[in-house]
Amino acid sequence: MRFLARRLGFYLLTAWAAVTLNFLIPRLMPGDPVELLVARMKGNVDPAAIDAMRRAFGISDANLWQQYLDYLGNLAQGELGRSITFFPAEVSTVIAGSLPWTVGLVGVATLISYLMGTSLGVLMAWKRGTWLDGVLPAATFMHAVPYFWVALALVFVFGVTLQWFPVSRAYGLDVMPGFTGEFAGSVVYHAALPAVTIVVASMADRILGMRNVMVTTLGEDYVVMAEAKGLTSRRVMWAYAARNAILPNITSFALSLGFVVGGSVLTEIVFSYPGIGSMLLKGVENEDFPLMQGIFLVISLAVLVANFLADLAYVVLDPRTRQESE
Amino acid sequence: MKRCLAVLLALALAGCSSSGGPTGKNSTSAPPLVIHAVDAGTFQEDFNPYHLEGVNFGTSGMIYETLMYFNKLKPGEIVPWLALKYEWSDKGKSLTFTLRPGVKWTDGQPFTADDVAFTFQMLKDHAQLNTSALEIKDAQALAPDKVRVDFKTTSYAKLYNIAGGSPIVPKHLWDKQQDPATFTNAKPVGTGPYKLSKFSAQLYEMEKNPSYWQPGKPEVPLLRFPAYTANALQTALQQGEVDWAGAFVPDIQKIFVQGKPEQNKFFFPPEGLVSLLPNLTNPVLAKPEVRQAMSLAIDRDKIVRVAERGYTKVAHPTGVPMPGGEAYVPPQYKDAAFQVDVAKAKELLKGVNPADLKFTLLVPSPFTDWVNAAQLIREDLAKVGITVETRGVAFQDWVSKVGKGDYDLSIRGAEAGPTPYFQMRFMLFGGLAKPVGEAASGNYERWKDAETDRLIEEYAATDDLAEQQKATQGLGRIMVEKLPQLPLFYSPGWAQFRTTKYVGWPSEQDPYAMPSPYASPDAAVVLLHLKPAVK
Repeated sequence: MRFLARRLGFYLLTAWAAVTLNFLIPRLMPGDPVELLVARMKGNVDPAAIDAMRRAFGISDANLWQQYLDYLGNLAQGELGRSITFFPAEVSTVIAGSLPWTVGLVGVATLISYLMGTSLGVLMAWKRGTWLDGVLPAATFMHAVPYFWVALALVFVFGVTLQWFPVSRAYGLDVMPGFTGEFAGSVVYHAALPAVTIVVASMADRILGMRNVMVTTLGEDYVVMAEAKGLTSRRVMWAYAARNAILPNITSFALSLGFVVGGSVLTEIVFSYPGIGSMLLKGVENEDFPLMQGIFLVISLAVLVANFLADLAYVVLDPRTRQESE
Repeated sequence: MKRCLAVLLALALAGCSSSGGPTGKNSTSAPPLVIHAVDAGTFQEDFNPYHLEGVNFGTSGMIYETLMYFNKLKPGEIVPWLALKYEWSDKGKSLTFTLRPGVKWTDGQPFTADDVAFTFQMLKDHAQLNTSALEIKDAQALAPDKVRVDFKTTSYAKLYNIAGGSPIVPKHLWDKQQDPATFTNAKPVGTGPYKLSKFSAQLYEMEKNPSYWQPGKPEVPLLRFPAYTANALQTALQQGEVDWAGAFVPDIQKIFVQGKPEQNKFFFPPEGLVSLLPNLTNPVLAKPEVRQAMSLAIDRDKIVRVAERGYTKVAHPTGVPMPGGEAYVPPQYKDAAFQVDVAKAKELLKGVNPADLKFTLLVPSPFTDWVNAAQLIREDLAKVGITVETRGVAFQDWVSKVGKGDYDLSIRGAEAGPTPYFQMRFMLFGGLAKPVGEAASGNYERWKDAETDRLIEEYAATDDLAEQQKATQGLGRIMVEKLPQLPLFYSPGWAQFRTTKYVGWPSEQDPYAMPSPYASPDAAVVLLHLKPAVK
């Protein structure tokens, strides 16, 4: 229990640091959102109206300390403010509108990639020296290829040339969102290509990571003993070797689950997917402090929660952590 | 039999691309028009015409209308719209409109002077909606079809912003709103040719207003606005999904025209002016002969051809958008054009210490065409002994640095506005110049000249078109002779359209409105001109 309490304390401290950085970073960027807006509106805004607009957007000239206190106060009440890009929409509305798309797409894809990658890694370590080793160079290649390159290649081949899959949007234009089979089908159809991108590009990491640790573990004495006892190879592979080898992979999985919320910005941009990554890009382009702060906040909290869950999983999987805490 | 043929023909014309197709409806209904106005991943449900960015395109023009329509491609041409006429009194401090009778809101209520008075009163009470900074003192309905708006200062020059840039909203629905600044108006009721019929985060549709005040119009029954991001649009243009778009297309012949210039058309009229900005607080750039020499050294034809892909034209030396702005150009410079003359440029620079001729040229790196233009300028200026280092910076950084005067040379655009005066005022008015270090909102080169300011004030002090033109001509002369900015080329307005479903689009021969779908209220004027394509 002490172990968990200590972790919890650590996470609270980290959350505070994240919230504070959230506040500071956008303010360190050059420029001012209203000036940018006026530059983009190309003369449709009279300079004399700038002050009034600044007030409307809630941009204050108060000193940084006062702004920080206001920010913490609002945050405590769950108030994220209004977005400047989508003024007057609330930041929480904007995030709520895009987060489900990202969590659905990137979350499912990450899960698939993890399950497939880990299993394949275990198998490849177990059956090393067979034809399965042929996957290794392919995995190393995929590991080195940038994410968006895979996305662009898939768009070009399956989207533009063959026209098998749509290349943008989360669902078809003629489908109204709702709980209908038609809508669900359209969503899956549109998610196929981006999901494949994420799986293909991130699976190699898992395969290589899992295989390497597994190979080391297979040389351990307890594995030799399990084999000597005459256990089935399936049992040795999964319950003896894989269970121990998976620990580092759990950590990286937890981290990537946290980053799911951040979206894979590049994938979302290539496929014009209306997720949180596209929103973040829009926020940065327009110096939309409130939107950026809101999104960063959600991302940092998600990473912290995911880490905490990984800690919990460790307690279950690794008896040594339980020993310490007693 | 005849009917059968018509259906077949319609099917053939529509191609087999659209799902649903015309089979379900009767054969006389015209197809919907698919429009891309601005890049968007998703739409927010916002139809408040006074919001700047969150608002969905079409709110102003198609749903809400203005009192008059100003055609920016024919400066000085004013078309009566919701108002039949206007009249100034009290030396430009009072403006009376006579309204068009028989106009109705889409909920059936009549449009009256109360609505107009309410709209201007709202702008007065909520400064953040008043983006044109109108100095409204009062607005009152004199009769059901007469309304007078009073101003604190002489407002002749703001006629466009008052009559052409302020969409009228219905009093009977908007006066219930506590705060019109945050009101998102999900169910808009306007007087315009269209009304909102469907909204989702990826697509909204507008259908024709059957009781629109222009009888028989519009002829396009349904407008579809799908959300396209910048790259999704290029694919959509290539595949023929979009009928009307306003976007930069890298290789328009290959991506859009596809060998069918009669069907896949584009028209890029000047929307503003792009110039080379010299920071006049720099003692070397403040010398007129240095600017003169630079202007003579720059090969603008090459810039337009190489950096701008020939999509636009070299600017007239006055900076006035041509064709269209002829009346605003001083007669002696009517046929003036930029010439490259390296020898003369070198001659002009003889008296300047060559060690002083070193400048940084600041460009926003996302604007790749300007980055290319900057490289060409660097090469041209090197030929006359001026060393230029080009520096690409983030958009934000560029806006902030140019605003504060923290640069030597930069490239920047100025919007044309309803008449060239608006562009000139933005570029040259001394009142906009701020000391270096303070963010200016115009006149970034910090030009200070008594004659310029006098001409700008002269324009603003009169309602007489001829006198306004004379004042603008004076400003044009200053541009040519004193070179406060070095005009390069016109910034094009983007418009691509297909004639497969509808014809009657604006063209160079008939520029009845800005052709870009993102120009409002011009886009509504274009829609009212469209007719179904008959074959």
